[in-house]
Amino acid sequence: HKQIPGVSSGCQQGGCLTCSDYNGCLSCKPRFFMHLERIGMKQIGVCMTSCPPGFYGTRSPERNTCTKCRSECDSCFNKNFCTRCRAGFYLHLGKCQENCPEGLARSDTQRECVS
Amino acid sequence: RIQERQGSAAPPCPSPCQCEEDGIFVMVDCSELGLSSVPTNLSPLTTYLDLSMNNISEIQPRAFHRLHLLSELRISGNQLRYISGHALQGLHNLKVLMLQNNQLERLPDDAPWDLPNLLSLRLDANLLSEVPAGAFRGVRSLRHLWLDDNSLTEIPVTALDSLPSLQAMTLALNQITHIPDYAFTNLSALVVLHLHNNKIQSMDARCFEGLHSLETLDLNYNDLQEFPVAIRTLSKLQELGFHNNNIKAIPERAFVGNPQLQTIHFYENPIQSVGKSAFQFLPKLHTLSLNGATQIQEFPDLKGTTSLEILTLTRAGLSALPLDLCEQLPRLRVLELSYNQIEDLPSFYHCSALQEIGLQHNQIRRIELSTFQQLVSLRALDLSWNMIEWIHPDAFTSLHSLIKLDLTENCLSSVPVAGLGGLTHLKLRGNTELYEAFSPDHFPRMRVIEMPYAYQCCVYGSCDSYKPASQWDTEQSNTDEDLHKRTVAMYPIHADAHYDPDLEEFQLEIEESKLQTSVQCTPTPGPFRPCDSLLG
Amino acid sequence: RPALRAVIKVALLNHDPTGKPITLEGVFVGGSAGYAEGKLMQYHPLSLCNTSEDERQESDFITIVKLEHRVPRCLPLLDKARMALDKGAQAVIFDVSDDANAAAELRETDSLSRPVVLVRAKDAEQLMGLVNKNEEAKVRIEIMVEQPQSLHYDV
Repeated sequence: HKQIPGVSSGCQQGGCLTCSDYNGCLSCKPRFFMHLERIGMKQIGVCMTSCPPGFYGTRSPERNTCTKCRSECDSCFNKNFCTRCRAGFYLHLGKCQENCPEGLARSDTQRECVS
Repeated sequence: RIQERQGSAAPPCPSPCQCEEDGIFVMVDCSELGLSSVPTNLSPLTTYLDLSMNNISEIQPRAFHRLHLLSELRISGNQLRYISGHALQGLHNLKVLMLQNNQLERLPDDAPWDLPNLLSLRLDANLLSEVPAGAFRGVRSLRHLWLDDNSLTEIPVTALDSLPSLQAMTLALNQITHIPDYAFTNLSALVVLHLHNNKIQSMDARCFEGLHSLETLDLNYNDLQEFPVAIRTLSKLQELGFHNNNIKAIPERAFVGNPQLQTIHFYENPIQSVGKSAFQFLPKLHTLSLNGATQIQEFPDLKGTTSLEILTLTRAGLSALPLDLCEQLPRLRVLELSYNQIEDLPSFYHCSALQEIGLQHNQIRRIELSTFQQLVSLRALDLSWNMIEWIHPDAFTSLHSLIKLDLTENCLSSVPVAGLGGLTHLKLRGNTELYEAFSPDHFPRMRVIEMPYAYQCCVYGSCDSYKPASQWDTEQSNTDEDLHKRTVAMYPIHADAHYDPDLEEFQLEIEESKLQTSVQCTPTPGPFRPCDSLLG
Repeated sequence: RPALRAVIKVALLNHDPTGKPITLEGVFVGGSAGYAEGKLMQYHPLSLCNTSEDERQESDFITIVKLEHRVPRCLPLLDKARMALDKGAQAVIFDVSDDANAAAELRETDSLSRPVVLVRAKDAEQLMGLVNKNEEAKVRIEIMVEQPQSLHYDV
């Protein structure tokens, strides 16, 4: 089973441009995201078209990178805007909070504040 | 896990994909299998389908028409040039659609995709040069839209009119040059807007009208010539970036419409002048950094900007600081004012949270008793490259947390040591009238010290107790025994016992053997820089 | 200023605890010579680029980074070392076997709060070998002191 949906780790996977035995991918093909994956004490570079759950992608002319979302988010658009919350948190306008604003109720299935 | 199990109650898994049960539903992973088309025998109970990183160049009509329960569809990293509205028929429950890293050149206009529950649409890293007016008519519930890394030359204003629920959008890494009035007028729920890495030169004054909920605006890496006054309508704005542009001035009352601002990044602009009232009344701003604004002669008026923690104002033309600086900025932690022409310092007494002060490369002559009084959190003080001739004997007495003091290149003939017992780094190089050899007893925690003269390092035993270690040679320590002896010498209490720690003893060893770290004093004495001062 | 040499003692956690630790050598950077101890934790050369990467480690750890000349530096090595120490590393080990400029880049520095050690060749290979096999290891760093000899200055 692949550790991360959509990509296998190690040097041979599709998005890798340069690679090393100890560090995995060192650079990615254009438009791929570089994700630094921790496996126990190891940390290797992996190239992918979308960042794994709990990370968001940032594109720039030099390099595309995956960065960790806030801890209360399962997925996010950027550091300050969540798109799905962790269990026990509820989404409202990009924020994951334990309580909802007045007038909105907590939906455990969607993990959102709903009217 | 279902691995091509056939005939049981579980839904069939199309070969060579991998499937995973999710209650009565099934999640299907067909990524990186070299597929050239969408598998046909997908179960109607499929809720997640990953087709990313294959060789799919087109989607056959009705490929997904039975997948009414599909929630997430990933087709990123393929060779798709166009996807018609019919191709995505039947996906009534789709919430996430990933199409990034394909070769999409255009989107359907007259018969757009009908995805009424779609929340996230990824179109980044494609070849779109425009977005037709009707492209998003069938995705009205959309909240998150990625259009970055395409070839758009203008904001798709009409297409965006169909997205009243949009909360986050990126148009970064395109070729957009101008933002017209009312470009986002229907996006009242938009919270995040990324426009970085375009070619934006100009913005109409009402281009951001309608963005009542916007909190983050990213205009970094563009070609803006003027300060973006259009931000005035963004009353909820918290994070603003326009660094790496071509802006030369920040006007008076620049952020009068943005009282919620917490961060403003505008470095790497040729800013020469800044309105004195530009940064007033920003009660949530915690960082302000201005570098190289040479036309700033006066310290900015920061009335009402009471939460500032980091203030950097370097390479400007400041010659004095306001006496009430700390009353205005009681929470200041870092004050960086290097490369100005400051002569006199006020008392920083009320800035009790200060941890770092950078005043290097100014024209300071004296340090008074009150200058740094009660700065109990101050850790680093850089006064190098000034003209300091005199420091009050008790100027440093209350600096209990100070560990780094840099007085390089001043005019000192003496330095008060009262209060400097905690220093680990002290730099006095370049004070040519300072002859005193400071006793190590003053600085029990010292690690690195720079003196004007080599002989002043002799009190640190730097003269005769050291054999220059050979160059870092590649020969390996020949035997463990040899290494063992050398490290044992460091723990005399073990001189007799056989030194063969196991893990528990390894822990014990740690507590007993904390080693006194060596002090590095420069300039290091040597044959031509003897320990006895030639002048007696 | 002569570079102080480091003794690196490595105890494998999943092996016989009474086994003798592996002893390796390195060189301290600038004024960072000192004592440290913690679990070995590899970082990719592209990591330690900005403070927002808040990958928190729970217990005491020692960071090891295998540098590669093919990887453009996102920050100077000194800043990377400081960032690792700020993130809680008890010490930082740089494997400079494949990055000839690294040693020179770090030679003259003083403001490091904890030990930073350069390793290469056989010592580096052995350390990275453990990392590659994900062999959990506890590392202890000490200063190797040469026996002092009296010096004569002919003035």
